[in-house]
Amino acid sequence: MVKMTDLPTKGGFSFDLCTRNQMLLDKGVQMPPFRKTGTTIVGLVFQDGVVLGADTRATEGPIVADKNCEKIHFMAPNIYCCGAGTAADTEAVTDMVSSQLQLHRYATGRESRVVTALTLLKSHLFSYQGHVSAALVLGGVDVTGPHLHTVYPHGSTDTLPFATMGSGSLAAMSVFESKYREGLTREEGIELVAEAICAGIFNDLGSGSNVDVCVITKGQTEYLRNYQLPNPRTYISSKGYSFVKGQTEVLSTKITPIQSKVQTVEGGDAMEE
Amino acid sequence: MGDSQYSFSLTTFSPSGKLVQIEHALQAVGSGQTSLGIKAANGVVVATEKKLPSILVDETSVQKIQLMTPNIGVVYSGMGPDSRVLVRKSRKQAQQYFRLYKEPIPITQLVRETAAVMQEFTQSGGVRPFGVSLLIAGYDDNGPQLYQVDPSGSYFSWKASAMGKNVSNAKTFLEKRYTEDMELEDAIHTAILTLKEGFEGQISGKNIEIGIIGADRKFRVLSSSEIDDYLAEVE
Repeated sequence: MVKMTDLPTKGGFSFDLCTRNQMLLDKGVQMPPFRKTGTTIVGLVFQDGVVLGADTRATEGPIVADKNCEKIHFMAPNIYCCGAGTAADTEAVTDMVSSQLQLHRYATGRESRVVTALTLLKSHLFSYQGHVSAALVLGGVDVTGPHLHTVYPHGSTDTLPFATMGSGSLAAMSVFESKYREGLTREEGIELVAEAICAGIFNDLGSGSNVDVCVITKGQTEYLRNYQLPNPRTYISSKGYSFVKGQTEVLSTKITPIQSKVQTVEGGDAMEE
Repeated sequence: MGDSQYSFSLTTFSPSGKLVQIEHALQAVGSGQTSLGIKAANGVVVATEKKLPSILVDETSVQKIQLMTPNIGVVYSGMGPDSRVLVRKSRKQAQQYFRLYKEPIPITQLVRETAAVMQEFTQSGGVRPFGVSLLIAGYDDNGPQLYQVDPSGSYFSWKASAMGKNVSNAKTFLEKRYTEDMELEDAIHTAILTLKEGFEGQISGKNIEIGIIGADRKFRVLSSSEIDDYLAEVE
């Protein structure tokens, strides 16, 4: 188990604190719980391509940092990637691989393949030994057909017909496991994805706000930002509040005149040039 | 010529104040296949001869006009392999710019960085200047633009320019034919006529290449059948 401490990296593992930790455990002090990655991200393969879905809540511990963030990242015109984990890590790694894929497209003159994106991502994550905390659902359609993969922070990958990641993954997976079947139509696929994300939104504290959906088919990609808004905010009245004079009872009145402290002196010296 | 003693070392000035290696590089460009570019009111067109060394070469595998970004393209005159190196570097620089500023690189910036690379190779040890001049064409927020970059690393913005074997005839022809309010379609016809001027042999969609970019900001290379259609219009 990797313990997250603020030690400077000296190369290799540092075992300095092991004796202290053992002593604390013996005294009955519990290890602090891991911070969960608050997100629900899903993907599934349907008859014409893949559908990706994500919630839009970004959290900093118990606080909602962003109520409507974008978790579905662009990799290539035909490949998109949902990211769970540390937001900065997912952004940086997807931007970097997206850039590399663009250069590769220019060099080869061909459309990018999902396995290319997958391999670039997993090699990068593996070389950082899990310290880049990015858990991704990668989906797209290329010449070889529709593909859906999950990528874990340590660099392992899975290829699946339907996948969920993040703290809300169990809630979403329960929906997929009971309702997924092969050969879904586009409407059924989008419905199922939205349902799975909503399960995460309503049953997981780390996920919330809106549903983003992305549908990728051969030759066309549709990014449906805020496809569903199941958590509308009730704002305060736009007319504002009126406080009529006399509504508030006056208990006592005291008036203090401000005395002038400025004394004018006549005939002073002129300022020097 | 007193210069000849100084003509072998790139990094040494000759007494007349020239870097003779760069002069030689420009010669290499001048003996390359003709290429030209025309900036129209609503786009830019670049064109080049595509004379292959033998009829046995598969002409579909050769593409002289390349993309650097979706809205910037480039054509060269001179040594093909040198241009490939420059295009590769420029593509990477465009990507790095985008990663840093989240803005598609403006054409002036890309030209500046490409020119900086070319200049680097005129002031380093153990390298030679690039034997190409590039015509960089693109369309960004400042409208359609056309730049020429020379082996020395100097660059200029042009309304219309030509390079390579037939440069003087082509430039004279362009000076006569160019108008400020030219549309992209007219510019394509003018480009074809200019190439035709100095063309040896039968001109067709298979032995010239044309790249265009319009207000849609998407640079694309025309297919040989599209070029044949334009050639038919020009006849």
